Amino acid sequence: MKYLEPETLDEAIAALASSDDARCLAGGATLVAMLNAELVDPKVLVGLRKIPALRGISRTANGIRIGAMTTHNEIAADDRLVGATELLRSAAGQIAHDAIRHVGTIGGSIAHADPSADWPAAITAADASIEIASAGGARTVSVDDFFLGYLQTAVQPGEIVTAIDIPSGPQHARGHYLKFSRVDGDYATVSIAIVLAMDGKRCEYIRFAAGACGPKPIRVAAAEERLLGTELTAGDIAAAGDLLAAEADPVDDVRGSSEYRRMLIPRLLSRAIAVVGRAHHD
Amino acid sequence: MTESTTIELRINGEVHSLEVETRRTLLEVLRQDLQLTGTKRGCNQGVCGACSILVDGNSIRSCLSLAVAMQGRDIVTIEGLGDGARLDPVQQAFLDAGAIQCGFCMPGMIISAKALLDKNPRPSKAEIRHALGNNICRCSGYVKVIDAVHRAATT
Amino acid sequence: MRCTVLRRRNDTNTDTRPVGDAVGRSLPRREAREKATGAATYADDIVVPRMLYGAVLGSDYAHARIVSCDTSAAEALPGVKAVLTGDKLGGKLFGKCIEDEPVLATGKVRYVGEPVAAVAAVDRATAKRALQLIELQYEELPAVFDAEAALAADAPPIHEARKTYVGRVPPLDNPNLASYTCFAEGDAEAAWAQCDVIVEDKYETPAQQHMYMEPCSTLAAFDRAADQLTLWTSTQGVFIVQYGIAKWLGLPMSKVRVIAPYIGGAFGGKGGLTNQQIAAALAIAAAAPVKLTYSREDDMTMMKSRHPSRIYMRTGAKRDGTLVAREVRIYLNTGAYADEGPFVNAVAANFSRGPYRIPNIKTQSWCVYTNHLKAGGMRGFGVPQANYASELQIDAIAARLGLDPIEVRLKNALGTGDKFLGGQNVDHGTLARCLEAVRQASGWEARRARPAVQPGKRRGIGVASATHVSAMNAAGATVKMNEDGTLTVNTGAVDVGQGSDTALSQLAAGVLGVSLDQIKYAAPDTNFSPYNHQTGGSRTTYTVGVAVQRASENARDQIFDLAAELLECPVDDLELRPGGWVGLKGAAGKQVPFSAIAKRSLYTSGGPVMGTANWLYEAERFDPKRTLTAGFAPNAVGVFLFAALVVEVDVDEATGKVEVVEAWAAHDVGRAINPGAVEGQIHGGLVQGFGFALIEELLWDEGRLVNPSMMDYKVPGAMDVPYEIHAIVLEDPEATGPFGARGVGEIPLNLAAPAICNAIEHATGVKVTTIPATGERVLRSMLQPR
Repeated sequence: MKYLEPETLDEAIAALASSDDARCLAGGATLVAMLNAELVDPKVLVGLRKIPALRGISRTANGIRIGAMTTHNEIAADDRLVGATELLRSAAGQIAHDAIRHVGTIGGSIAHADPSADWPAAITAADASIEIASAGGARTVSVDDFFLGYLQTAVQPGEIVTAIDIPSGPQHARGHYLKFSRVDGDYATVSIAIVLAMDGKRCEYIRFAAGACGPKPIRVAAAEERLLGTELTAGDIAAAGDLLAAEADPVDDVRGSSEYRRMLIPRLLSRAIAVVGRAHHD
Repeated sequence: MTESTTIELRINGEVHSLEVETRRTLLEVLRQDLQLTGTKRGCNQGVCGACSILVDGNSIRSCLSLAVAMQGRDIVTIEGLGDGARLDPVQQAFLDAGAIQCGFCMPGMIISAKALLDKNPRPSKAEIRHALGNNICRCSGYVKVIDAVHRAATT
Repeated sequence: MRCTVLRRRNDTNTDTRPVGDAVGRSLPRREAREKATGAATYADDIVVPRMLYGAVLGSDYAHARIVSCDTSAAEALPGVKAVLTGDKLGGKLFGKCIEDEPVLATGKVRYVGEPVAAVAAVDRATAKRALQLIELQYEELPAVFDAEAALAADAPPIHEARKTYVGRVPPLDNPNLASYTCFAEGDAEAAWAQCDVIVEDKYETPAQQHMYMEPCSTLAAFDRAADQLTLWTSTQGVFIVQYGIAKWLGLPMSKVRVIAPYIGGAFGGKGGLTNQQIAAALAIAAAAPVKLTYSREDDMTMMKSRHPSRIYMRTGAKRDGTLVAREVRIYLNTGAYADEGPFVNAVAANFSRGPYRIPNIKTQSWCVYTNHLKAGGMRGFGVPQANYASELQIDAIAARLGLDPIEVRLKNALGTGDKFLGGQNVDHGTLARCLEAVRQASGWEARRARPAVQPGKRRGIGVASATHVSAMNAAGATVKMNEDGTLTVNTGAVDVGQGSDTALSQLAAGVLGVSLDQIKYAAPDTNFSPYNHQTGGSRTTYTVGVAVQRASENARDQIFDLAAELLECPVDDLELRPGGWVGLKGAAGKQVPFSAIAKRSLYTSGGPVMGTANWLYEAERFDPKRTLTAGFAPNAVGVFLFAALVVEVDVDEATGKVEVVEAWAAHDVGRAINPGAVEGQIHGGLVQGFGFALIEELLWDEGRLVNPSMMDYKVPGAMDVPYEIHAIVLEDPEATGPFGARGVGEIPLNLAAPAICNAIEHATGVKVTTIPATGERVLRSMLQPR
């Protein structure tokens, strides 16, 4: 196994092309654990830590741009992430533990696309766009087209995730990430990521996704539509929660049975809406 | 196939020049090549925290860090705390509070406590629990561990 | 010549007052500085010249015949120095209770993960690569995973040769039955008619994993020229390992040396033999030192767990809460091999009456083989399972009768002079004191009547009692004086983290009136240490403590003889003075230091000062006039301990997740030699119990463990424990214990699960009869129509 540590994106793309079995090393939180467990054995590892262009958070015309190599803790600590984008700050702060958040990166996590991780659901609800670079240039993929299945994304061989763009959403939008897990720092049993904007008493905008409930984040347009324009009564939320749960395809595992996860979806959706709803009244 | 690289690691203020294979973690290099065995292997998966070390002031997992990717970082292990004769105040607080039982998790626990106190000298109990949440201890029930960090913060 | 005069078992210790201030203080651990600086050496930290690395291949099948095993490719791999299989080892069986277990599988495998082959190579990577080159062919056999199902007549036989097995437990006809135990007192059948209320339920408890932070590790070195085998190993007892290794290898014990470095936790999981035999066999085969350190996954798939249990229990009481009758059936799933299972099974049965008087009782327990990982001793040793069922039934009776749960417990609590199940005398029946202490400290009445209200959560408070034993088997100690008057204490007892090195040093210091700095505690080494049975059974402070106290007294007698010569006065006129002095009573200035006494002993009179003591805790026999026993029912193993716990919990209405909010635990420890260490045992035992109650559970899918990692099998972290765990230490001195001390290591764990489930019921009205009480289990129970 060869280790390369390019200092520009172009060098990184070239390094990735140097072998048919090359992988990017972001923070290492997942990849090194997989190397330790001998689950992967690439010929070339391309370390991305020395490429300044991949790092940091900046404002854009309609939101926030997060470099792929930005760590969870850098995101959790950024107080520019308010309103709709607070969803990301909220999610980042709940990933694993401090020691992992110091090294783990948003780009590494979404490129790995483990559905039990926190970023996939979070950026789905945040309506993110993912910028992907390759020798042929850069392209942008909507989050709805990014996660294709269990550990599968739209990223092709030779491509690198470079940034995630998050729209600010409508005025007064609020975001939140509600994570339920067995113990602190565990993967979620179920998580709900949500962005909500109210127009008076009525729901003007809503977008949400359930995490750890299928091979990829579960987002159901009909469930969102069910709530648009409503006053978000308990009955409305329960109906939307059922629509979301019906589309979920959770596994039975040590964090909970498939059935339990389906039971939790409407319950946690209701709680997540209460949290962002309360924020609206603050 | 394995491929070795010569790297320089700055550990406890000293620069070590080492020949390492790409797949080797910093934990292995610390324990095997440098005999810095205070850093422990409990799970090799980044969960237990026994392998915690300071990197640029943050407590991170040496088992999830490839040694080749650690060049240019400032690494401190448990052996780098205190000045030989005197313990670091955090270590002393763990002794005074009676927080240490089997001791296997303690180097990592003390490293995480140190990282916290260096950034936040007066943490609340909630902040202490949060900072130590990633260091598993099977002996203490955490009561005296949290008390130790609280002591270190208030003395 | 001075000879050692020893007092006998259960003689009351006369010296109940220590000299100086070493006893009863929360002194820092002797080795704390080493552990805080990373200098403390654990087995995997040791490196010796020419050292090889071992690796072990586990079975892929739960139950299968080994058709063939080809190791030639592994042996041909450069860097491989030895490859072992069950056939190469000759198939000799071992086992603490039943010799039923091969070191490497022979003929067939009985669980997924069972060691089938082992390799020693120049580095870990080569050893692991060699494992992948071993070609095994299996023929799968039908498997059985449930204890009750395994007892069925048509269940697949796991130990066809059960009838021929030797060991402490007699042979049985059923190939899947490791052991059976029965206790009966009174006439339970007839007594049901006298009961005003009867409660009955089925309870299940999980396979909890010890999850010591240090995975098992052994460094074995074989010196062919000297014909000597030396092991540095993470163990609870060096002599148990020495005996077990020598017996299995067919070597005299004089050729086997076992040394315990620092141990990174054990909790029962490092009792008996772990991976020492494989390491030793590899070292002999390779003629080189071999270090075998398990990965976390190896450790979780190849070592052992607590016994999962299913318990059917029925209890009856009078209208006033007086307990009348109980009937119990316990099924312990011991997995593929018995290990300590038959003992655990007997203890579970013996403790199924709990710390109460129930005149009519019949308990039967079955220790059953299945095709799972083996189960063995773990902190509590069968009592956490039995006590969980028992304490839930006490609350069920209280609820049916409209009585306060603490009142029902007080009404039936074993008191001094009462008899335990089996007929042994209860010398310090202090459960009532413990219950009163937690009732008062927790403000029970107010919290029980008016739980705090929080949106989305339900608050509840619950209580549990527990009993346990402390003692077991033999211990020796030497206390020798060095030329400068300092002392070295040697017992062979292994400190697995609980603090016995410090507590035993404090005991010696308390007898001799010296400071801890004047005492060296020698590390356990079979070459130099007196015999000691292993750490376990909450025995070390009590049992080894008695030996240390007596050896110190023996040394003191020798010191006094020498001091009498120096001070030219009768021995009876002498007294110890703190700091290592012997003085003439009533004459402040007239004294000699230990250093002068040491010099005199070495060069003038008497010879070196060497205090020694040995003793055996003679277990009380069950009283056949009172109790009918059947099957494997070994003697009671110690003095009785009592404790009580109150916990407050919050149950999340949306998810069912339970959070322990606050806990109050009272333990009567006789005398706290080191109160801080006692509190540490209580805190740690309770939190391990919280894990047992709420989150910890090994899970299998068709015989394959699905969560053999710390990622998937969770134990409580700092964020998962309550802010306040109040450890209340009560001291009703033990007449037979060192300065009045009894043990405390295990009993906290017996309390946690029932107190939590009783609190959950108070919060939600739901009985949780299967633990861990995960969010899923609790929510499902809450949603069930009642």
